[in-house]
Amino acid sequence: MYKHRKFLLILFVIAFMLFLAACSSGGNDSESAGNDESAGGAAEQVLKIANDQEPAGLDPHITPAMSSVRVYSKIYSTLVEFDENMELTPDLAEEWDWSDDTTLVFQLREGVIFHNGDEVTADDVVYSFERILDENTGSHIASYFSSIDSIEATDTFEVTFHLTGPDATILTNFTNASAAIVNESVVEENGDLQQVAVGTGPFKLEEWVPDNRVTLSKNEDYYMEGQPVLDAVEYYTMVDEAARLSAIRTGEVDMTTLTGQSAQLVDGSEGINVMEYQSLEYSYAGFDMNHEILSDEKVRQALSLATNRESIATIVWDGQATVTGPIAPSMGDWSIDVTEHELYSNDLDKARELLDDAGYPDGFAIEITTASTYDDMIDTAQLLQQQWAEIGVDVTIKQVEWGEYLDIWTNTSADILIGRNGSGSDPDRAMNYFFNSNGSANVWGFADEEYDEIVQNGKTTIDEAERHDIYTEAQNYLLDKSPNLFLVSPMNYVVARDTVENYEPYPHNSEDIMETTIN
Amino acid sequence: MPGNPIGVTQRGRAFLILDIKKSLDLHRIFLKGENMYAYIIRRLLMVIPVLLGVSIVIFFTLRVIPGDVAQTILGTSATEESLAALRGRFGLDLPVYEQYFMWISGIVIGDFGVSMRTGAEILPEIISRFAITFELTMLAAIISWIVAIPLGIIAGIRRNTKTDFSVRIISLFGVSIPNFALATILILILSLAFNYSPPVGYVGFFADPVTNLKILFLPAFVLGTAMAGAVMRMTRSSILEILRQDFIRTVRAKGVKERIVIFNHAFKNALIPILTIIGMQVGVLLGGTVIIEQIFSLPGLGQMVLTGINQRDFTVVQGAILFIAFVFMLINLLVDLLYSYLDPRIKYK
Repeated sequence: MYKHRKFLLILFVIAFMLFLAACSSGGNDSESAGNDESAGGAAEQVLKIANDQEPAGLDPHITPAMSSVRVYSKIYSTLVEFDENMELTPDLAEEWDWSDDTTLVFQLREGVIFHNGDEVTADDVVYSFERILDENTGSHIASYFSSIDSIEATDTFEVTFHLTGPDATILTNFTNASAAIVNESVVEENGDLQQVAVGTGPFKLEEWVPDNRVTLSKNEDYYMEGQPVLDAVEYYTMVDEAARLSAIRTGEVDMTTLTGQSAQLVDGSEGINVMEYQSLEYSYAGFDMNHEILSDEKVRQALSLATNRESIATIVWDGQATVTGPIAPSMGDWSIDVTEHELYSNDLDKARELLDDAGYPDGFAIEITTASTYDDMIDTAQLLQQQWAEIGVDVTIKQVEWGEYLDIWTNTSADILIGRNGSGSDPDRAMNYFFNSNGSANVWGFADEEYDEIVQNGKTTIDEAERHDIYTEAQNYLLDKSPNLFLVSPMNYVVARDTVENYEPYPHNSEDIMETTIN
Repeated sequence: MPGNPIGVTQRGRAFLILDIKKSLDLHRIFLKGENMYAYIIRRLLMVIPVLLGVSIVIFFTLRVIPGDVAQTILGTSATEESLAALRGRFGLDLPVYEQYFMWISGIVIGDFGVSMRTGAEILPEIISRFAITFELTMLAAIISWIVAIPLGIIAGIRRNTKTDFSVRIISLFGVSIPNFALATILILILSLAFNYSPPVGYVGFFADPVTNLKILFLPAFVLGTAMAGAVMRMTRSSILEILRQDFIRTVRAKGVKERIVIFNHAFKNALIPILTIIGMQVGVLLGGTVIIEQIFSLPGLGQMVLTGINQRDFTVVQGAILFIAFVFMLINLLVDLLYSYLDPRIKYK
């Protein structure tokens, strides 16, 4: 017996070490669950949303990930925002006025308080934009506000932005959820805002349990009368598509995004609404402009002619996509009707002719790189491989993991790269940022003085009609030069239970839940 | 009787020279107790160089993987300045060996650092997530034992009967079908045919045991099937092997009931190889719940590692893997000690 006891004692000690961790954290869980219950009363309106990725942090100024944006956009406010028709409407700013071409004055709403009780004043706005523009912050939206020369609190509730030159895009950029107004004392206290969130938005951060859920509760002091209606929003991280599909079918969650294919599976199911909207994104094939063969404009044009974009929409996206140019169709009348463009005619004879002119009568061999993370990108690459084979171009496809893909994107170390771009909310984003010779995201080495001039003109022209003409010219010019082949802009899908009412997704705000109710 | 000398099997239960054996046993137990502590301490000390090795391998492997951390975190809209700022914040602009020493000297004093992505402290995160993975692993193991061991024994006793063949087919199925496929199939079938899906949002066992088990049952079942297959096969062959041995014939010759022959004599002796495979499986499960945790949206350690790798969150991946390695070694030690409990002939020096 002695022997046994000793043995068991030792085994017990080791097992105990293993259990120690289990028990200690079990305690934490019980606490958090207790909070949940106390927050959840009888007829609470709680919207459960399945988020397809874990938020990558909650600091609006440095976190571009969509999984984060959808959460922090509920917590923070911006100066101005878009309504459903993409018209500017007041948010934290009640009024705004250009006192001259380079001076923009905002009158702030009075009596707005942060979730911690501080009142919002002009100083907070000044601090927020100085933080965005500070190099040490490393903000991904600093480039949106590069025309800002200085910011000044001209009164308790009045902020004046002085610009280095006329900038027609800046008002639209203020609507970006990342241009959020934050509280200086909270940043000072925590270093950054990745883990904490104190804003002025309709919802407050209640709890974030990593890889599990984010709980937001209603901001009772929100300045918009009667909004939001919901008492709480819960985001559950569910990376697996089948799991999200199953959860929305059985009503475990109220709302989720799904791919077109999965959305079709539940379309028509009882108790489920499938909603679609045109995304702001488009897919492209980007060329290394310094590549020996691809640097020839005729080659790129030939490839554009050899590309059947309709069939990409049909095969890759099940028909749920629209052929597009550099500005996606969801941007309304900013985007041109590309189907009229000569290079979109899929004229193979013309393509062969151009290749012949360029000195490649028998075609050539080339490599397309694509991210293995996204099926649509792989499918697109495979279709292009088939389509271009018709004119003698021999394509090999290289699939890389997402981190490596981003590396390749940055260094343009691929001949041709398949990708997706977001059009943004102002045409300047699509045209200037990606293709100006010193645009931050122009990784292709496309440098064309004439083009630079056109888009610079577009940025500084305030008159709207004139701007339209400029961007029409810019789009046609860019299509002729084809530094990228612009392919299709897919539909996005939101699937919700029919108990969710007063909700409709828009391209620039797919999660407007201000008036949403649950029945 | 190779490897099975009379007198040292099973607590001196059956045999001839009982008196001599007893005195020998007492002597040995005394020595063994001393040796075992020394052994455990030695094994625990051995953990240190192994962990150091693991830390070096994981640290430098992560640095070799293509994909720039700062770029992955900030995405395509990052500027040069913002990239440089982020690299500066995490010392990514320093030479690699300096980064390693900074990290490892933190680990030594229990400072695992913060996530490059979210800024959260890593160690508390690892511990709370380990609880989930550990519970999942244990549930999977229990499910698999409940199914596999009885079936394995039955198959072993009734060799080459229909029962045996069915068990072998079931176990082959368990071993062969990939976890992720079984998981996805189960989710879809339950949802489409029975309109059932597990509750969303993980809840701890101590907070709400019923919901917790509802959430964990499916993933544990999926993980359990693979493990059950392996354990079933090992139980069967191990029982077969033991039943052929002389001491079983002796016990039977003495007229002992078959039930006692099987459970008290054969099964106990068959446990050693079964335990080996269980130990290995539990270890593998701990690190191998990655995909299952992702499919069932469980915030465990595997999910943490996977998210960390995808986001190139080096500090998180390094910390979590080091921790998994440590637990793996503890489990191995536990299994080794269990051997000598089950079979006193096994001594540690």
